[in-house]
Amino acid sequence: MSRRSTALRLAAAAALVAAAACSDGTRSTGPEPAPVLRTAQAPDLGALTSTVPGFGGLFLDHGVPTVYLTDISKRGAAERALSGFAQSRGFGPGEIRVLQGKYAYGDLDRWSQAVSYEVFEQGGVVFVDLDEAANRVLVGVERGASHANVRSLAARLGVPAEAIVTREVDPIQYAATLQDQVRPVVAGLQIHFGNFLCSIGFNAVSGGQSSFVTASHCTNKQGGTEGTQYFQSLSSQPNSFIGTEVDDPTYFRNRNGCPRGRRCRFSDASRAAYAAGVSFTLGGIAQTSGPNNGSLTITGTFNVTSEANAVVGDVANKVGRTTGWTQGAVTNTCVNTGVSGTNIVQLCQTFVSAGVGGGDSGSDVFGLTGGSSVRLLGILWGGNGAGTQFVYSPIGNVEQELGPLTTF
Amino acid sequence: MTITFAVVAPDSVRRGDPVPITLRLTNAGTVPENLYLTGRSITFDIIIARSDGEIVWRRLEHATGQQILQVQTLAPGQTLELKDRWRQRTNAGAAVAPGDYTVTGVIPTDRQPLRTAPVRLRITP
Repeated sequence: MSRRSTALRLAAAAALVAAAACSDGTRSTGPEPAPVLRTAQAPDLGALTSTVPGFGGLFLDHGVPTVYLTDISKRGAAERALSGFAQSRGFGPGEIRVLQGKYAYGDLDRWSQAVSYEVFEQGGVVFVDLDEAANRVLVGVERGASHANVRSLAARLGVPAEAIVTREVDPIQYAATLQDQVRPVVAGLQIHFGNFLCSIGFNAVSGGQSSFVTASHCTNKQGGTEGTQYFQSLSSQPNSFIGTEVDDPTYFRNRNGCPRGRRCRFSDASRAAYAAGVSFTLGGIAQTSGPNNGSLTITGTFNVTSEANAVVGDVANKVGRTTGWTQGAVTNTCVNTGVSGTNIVQLCQTFVSAGVGGGDSGSDVFGLTGGSSVRLLGILWGGNGAGTQFVYSPIGNVEQELGPLTTF
Repeated sequence: MTITFAVVAPDSVRRGDPVPITLRLTNAGTVPENLYLTGRSITFDIIIARSDGEIVWRRLEHATGQQILQVQTLAPGQTLELKDRWRQRTNAGAAVAPGDYTVTGVIPTDRQPLRTAPVRLRITP
């Protein structure tokens, strides 16, 4: 739970007392006067420490209002203080469950704040919580992090060993989207260069150089290597520079089946070398909550475990910064494809009946093989005007032009 | 967002004459506006429909465009114009008959496409 400042608590307690003083019908006349909560709003736990002797925490146990008291003979005070809250939950004061607590809420609060102040200096600490449902201070640590360090810190701070519990938990991360800055860098994320936005196709190692592959037209000049500088996700963010274009073969004419008057390549792909210190996951592709649902929020990671060329009827997927994860059937393979508004023909490309939008250029294209494992199929570069069909360069064409790549 | 988007076309043209069409994006506000537009050269569609709504020509019909996104900043009062000509042919290449048509402009973005209100175009014999 989040704990408010002492000043706020005092104000809340004063408000509770004032509310009780103004409520004629239910005003307590017992030996231990206590404020009555009249609304469904959760009580201020800090305020209860001053009105319920030995109060150790309040929670709902399968819906039943339940309270810890260090002295369960003070049940009457708890019933009076919490009668309004219990009634708002459908329970009478006598139905409030009272458990024997070992520690007072005020002590737990003081200990949890003291531990919180110092424990994050240790690696692997995820959270510190005053656990009202356990009458303890709970420290969440990542798997492999030291529980002993937490316990020794607690001992140094004078926290009783029994009052603190450590538990291994998953790290908590921001709900990042494909358009946010994300490290380690994985495929599907937004990249920025000049005044353009594209997506990362896949990470790769080429001749020992850590790299990522994106579309050739996602460089300062399509075809030819000009050292385009890439940022993830925007150049305006700190620490966003991730790499530099190092390979973008020129387009050719009058050979290899290139139509008359046109410039051609077999892939719309280029490679950029990661800058020193930029973390990336080889084989990693950002995963969202599901295909064709429009979500851009990252919920996991696909892992490339193989490469393949698709055939008509295969199901292909892509994850890109604009339309997220889309999925559909391969409808055409090895199609010589004219690029609208240019004299470029991309030779032997693959069409997929699935959603696409501006900014998805450079995205990974892959097939699902079970669990989070995927088979890398290629690099997306184009789509139709309706955004219902995307076009990609098969991975075989990409490696034919960029050279052998280690992709997983 | 204070961007206005309009299509400009002649009220009337003679049968067979190419029809000049301009899409006009204007920042009518007082602060710069960023536009997220598709393509290295901006992708835009023009839709010609008969008066009964049947589409006879789309500029992007069967086109495969690069899915790069460009960020264009329009200063207050600045206008971006995109131009093309319609040769009075259907997407199948047949000449269209005289009559009343509508012209609509569409610009894909990284969200919903921008779309103009349709304007009337009369083709006279």
